[in-house]
Amino acid sequence: MRSLVRTATRPYVCPSCHLGRLSARRRFASASTPSSALPEIYDVVCVGGGPAGLGLLAALRATPATSKLKVALVETQDLEKARSWSLDAQHYSNRVSSLTPSSVSFLQKIGVWDHVDAARVQPYQEMQVWDGETGSRITFDWSMETSPFEDLRTVATMTENSNLVRALLSRIAESGDENLSIFSNTTVSSIANGSDIPDGPDLSAWPVLSLAPTTSSSAQPPKQIAARLLVGADGINSPVRRFADISTSGWDYDRHGVVATLSLSDLDPVHSSPNIKTAFQRFLPALGGPIALLPLPNNTASLVWSTTVANAAYLKSLPPRAFIATVNAAFRLSMTDLTYMLRMERPSTTSPTSTDSSSAIDPHEDELTWRLQHTPQPRKPSQLPPLVTGVQEGSVASFPLRFRHASSYISPRVALVGDAAHVIHPLAGQGLNLGLGDVAALAQTVEYAATHGMDAGDLLTLERYAADRFATNAKIGVACDVLHKLYNVPGNGPVAWARSFGLDVIDSVPFVKGLLMRGAQ
Amino acid sequence: MATRRALRTLNHLATRRAHSTSSVSANELSHFSALASSWWDPQGPSRVLHLMNPLRHDFIASCLSDALPPSSTSTTTTTPNTLRYLDIGCGGGIFAESLARSISPPSPTSQTATPTRAAAITAIDPSTTLIQIARDHARRDPTVAAHLRSGRFEYKNCTLEDLITAAPPQQQQQQTSSTSTPTATPPQTYDIVTLFEVLEHIESTPAAGISPQSFLADCLRLVRPGGWLIGSTIARTVPSWLVNQVIAEAPWPIGVVPRGTHEWQKFVNPEEVEAWVQEGLMRAADGRAVRAGAAALEGMRWKCVGVVYFPGFGWKLVPGSESWGNYFWAVRKGV
Repeated sequence: MRSLVRTATRPYVCPSCHLGRLSARRRFASASTPSSALPEIYDVVCVGGGPAGLGLLAALRATPATSKLKVALVETQDLEKARSWSLDAQHYSNRVSSLTPSSVSFLQKIGVWDHVDAARVQPYQEMQVWDGETGSRITFDWSMETSPFEDLRTVATMTENSNLVRALLSRIAESGDENLSIFSNTTVSSIANGSDIPDGPDLSAWPVLSLAPTTSSSAQPPKQIAARLLVGADGINSPVRRFADISTSGWDYDRHGVVATLSLSDLDPVHSSPNIKTAFQRFLPALGGPIALLPLPNNTASLVWSTTVANAAYLKSLPPRAFIATVNAAFRLSMTDLTYMLRMERPSTTSPTSTDSSSAIDPHEDELTWRLQHTPQPRKPSQLPPLVTGVQEGSVASFPLRFRHASSYISPRVALVGDAAHVIHPLAGQGLNLGLGDVAALAQTVEYAATHGMDAGDLLTLERYAADRFATNAKIGVACDVLHKLYNVPGNGPVAWARSFGLDVIDSVPFVKGLLMRGAQ
Repeated sequence: MATRRALRTLNHLATRRAHSTSSVSANELSHFSALASSWWDPQGPSRVLHLMNPLRHDFIASCLSDALPPSSTSTTTTTPNTLRYLDIGCGGGIFAESLARSISPPSPTSQTATPTRAAAITAIDPSTTLIQIARDHARRDPTVAAHLRSGRFEYKNCTLEDLITAAPPQQQQQQTSSTSTPTATPPQTYDIVTLFEVLEHIESTPAAGISPQSFLADCLRLVRPGGWLIGSTIARTVPSWLVNQVIAEAPWPIGVVPRGTHEWQKFVNPEEVEAWVQEGLMRAADGRAVRAGAAALEGMRWKCVGVVYFPGFGWKLVPGSESWGNYFWAVRKGV
């Protein structure tokens, strides 16, 4: 479709205009750029050392056709800290991701999964999603496609981002340091087009980055590196995207995601088989978004609660016991009860309350106990998550929810991946998966270029990547946005009826559900 | 003697030189010179040609997997990438530059085989303008520019006949020290000679003894025994007339190729190419061949596969479609 549009618009942009636009706009700088000396030339320079950027590097190093390419990665943070990250088995980071089977198989293919600490990941085989307003429910699992003689297939796998980043770093280290430069603790002070070097190559259309170490102690001059392909894996405010002058559109949801690491009640009497783990998500239209409880090992779980900014601030201010009671309530009580609980006067001074909390009665707990007696509960207890009993200290945090989509993922010698290209609502847990999908597609494009004599930074090469990813990401981003809006209509009006009807239909027609689940991969 | 001048010649200088005896018509000249400035624009008139280029690499790789030309340098090399290429009618360098990019720089450690196994490439075109465009563009890629400086990659502004009559260059004759007269030495031969989208632009002038057939025979003289002559062209069929003349050259927004790019009458069918290359091999026109006649066809291989352009998806190899429109062909000279 996009290439059709391109073809249609082609005759109206003359080549000289292309060039004019290019030279005028291509600049990103926080300092002036000097020097016409020959910069060090790399095939792929990746700005950003998060899961997407490191994933790209690992994929390129793992593929025979691209393993000899000269690659560099620039990261502001200290990657040494990420490499030596470690936590004990009872504690889990609050930054976790739900990896789809296709993300996991990509990580297996490039040899990263072996480096992930398997004791800290948790696959789950079932997902319970329901509407807090109407009670309509859908269960996602692969039971309709799994024979009774084999184990239920995995819906997704929970992984701490730090665990994944550490695995990526050690996989990259395993590939040796030939043709590899990792600039940790380094910022990109400017990006500009290079120059035509007499008796040398003409780099006037190549991005040249000036690198400066963040540690102020070293006073060495900025290092200049030129990139055949500059990859922006540098997040929502991507400097690479600014250099390429790619516009981005979107909006803020005026919602925050509250995250926490929780411990669950020891006994899980519900499930006969301990091998089946379940993720729970309840849409709370009156409170601004869904609450989700995602399983982690050792009877712990990760909380992601998308809610209004005011509610998020309220939740973060609650002492642990009140917080736990509110989370348990959010999976069980009616919208009216919940709205009331989130407006209760919060304990005036948090510190004294928490110290003598063992004896005193927490008002939230009290409220929950009383209101539960008057709330009808689902017939099957397996449809409810186990009770939350504890919250890991310091793990309650929140982040703003946004929607962003770049107008294009590519520009001459520039490609955007991950959050630099798209930021979506986290309600389907797809953010990191889309980023890894980008990385897999871009690595494949670079491999195709390497085996077909193509220039990896050429637009003709990069449009293969954009054609692969742009529509896919836009579709999932918009689907999440629509779901968010649909489940923000409170009350029992026609919208609530329609979405419940839709959910019931999907749940009862295996064909449609199978289609959806395959689509989500 | 040098009557047969090849190909699309574009600018006025080249025109003057090739004027009287050229196999290229004035129409072709003016048409391609108008395209010169946009040759490398990915959204420009040559876009469809750019999109086809990766498939040329695929087709070459398939030829090499069928039969690898015997190693020419018996010296101890650590690399399996030893093939020397000649690209005839390179134009702005779309294929030649991509092939040069596939040349792996020399390294002390043993190398893995690349899909093209290229060690060097010479690309020729009679047009001064296009050769200049090709050289300028090659400088924009440091890898390719380094090959240009080292001599592994070379653009020559000359005709096919110039190559045949010229003595082999000095620097590539390290093993022999031939000081005899240039006319006596046979032309330098290549492992792979490529001829992409050239054949359908050859003007047939029977009075001057110029025809696509004689042109192919000349190309074959530059192929080493065991090497390949690989090309692509378009079949002269009703579908190809509809696709290439009516649809592809239609006004915007339907057309994807500039008007006047092709003349359907000059299109060549696969059977014709096959017959011409057999004729060319049997004539043994290189003078040095020991064998002639039917014996020259021993060890010969013929290969042909169609390609189809799907708007919005690009080119795809579609075996069996060679008698419909665009197709790749290859012939291997017997060892």
